[in-house]
Amino acid sequence: MNDDAIEALLRRQFEGPVADDGFSERVMRQLPPRRWRIAWPLWLSLLAGACACWLSLAGTPLLHAGWRDWLHGELSAPAMDLLLAVAGMAWLALGWTLAESEDR
Amino acid sequence: MADSAAEARIDQALATRVRLDGDRRAFEQLVRRHQGMVRAQLRRLLHGDEATADDLAQETFVLAWRKLDQFRGEARFSTWLYRIAYTCFLQASRGSARQGEADDEAMERLPAPAQAVDLQIDLERAMRRLSAPEQAVLLHCAQLGLSHEEAAYVLAMPLGTVKTHALRGKAKLKTWLAAWREAAGEEEAS
Repeated sequence: MNDDAIEALLRRQFEGPVADDGFSERVMRQLPPRRWRIAWPLWLSLLAGACACWLSLAGTPLLHAGWRDWLHGELSAPAMDLLLAVAGMAWLALGWTLAESEDR
Repeated sequence: MADSAAEARIDQALATRVRLDGDRRAFEQLVRRHQGMVRAQLRRLLHGDEATADDLAQETFVLAWRKLDQFRGEARFSTWLYRIAYTCFLQASRGSARQGEADDEAMERLPAPAQAVDLQIDLERAMRRLSAPEQAVLLHCAQLGLSHEEAAYVLAMPLGTVKTHALRGKAKLKTWLAAWREAAGEEEAS
């Protein structure tokens, strides 16, 4: 008796799926209300992070200079720094979004 | 294979509807699609105890409903359900571990099938003489049709351990059922 014969015997011994006979309805009656994932901690954390970021950077002249040069269309070093920071965050957000969409 | 991939996509779509919209009808479809195999899995694990198997199957689907956010599609939905069901089985059997050990000891004392009347009955007895992990691996791989990788996921065992249990389990069954081969040979000779 080889492996294939043993496996064939085991498959034959398995009775297969059980008939429903009202089981699914009983399960559906037992289901509790679905709990939704709470979204407010995420938004609160994002707001707190943005505020902390602004407070820590508000005093630096680099941010002001970069913002001013950007508005005037000058590609100075501070403006480039700001641009790179924004682009980096946009790439991170894109990566996160793609990862989430793959999961779905 | 194509059918299996299509089935997996349907499950994935239904699971997404449940996760995003809390769609109970989509979940009911999932229950109807998988209850038969989950209950069969639990009945085999519980050696035919239908009432306990159905209680555990119900617990499995309620847990699946609660934890559906954790299903990320890295495994097939059916495999994910088998894993929940097996965890429920382990938790339930912990309480009756002593009884199980006693059963195992009694089973070990049974003589190996020699001149059995029915091969299926002998196979059933031989299966019960295997260790619990060997039984679980053979059930999931040979009977439920999972790959070794999927069985490793369901049973939370390393892949190598699953392969070892599968090999040892089949080798033991071959030894214990060898009498059948000899009997068949004698019949052919006469």
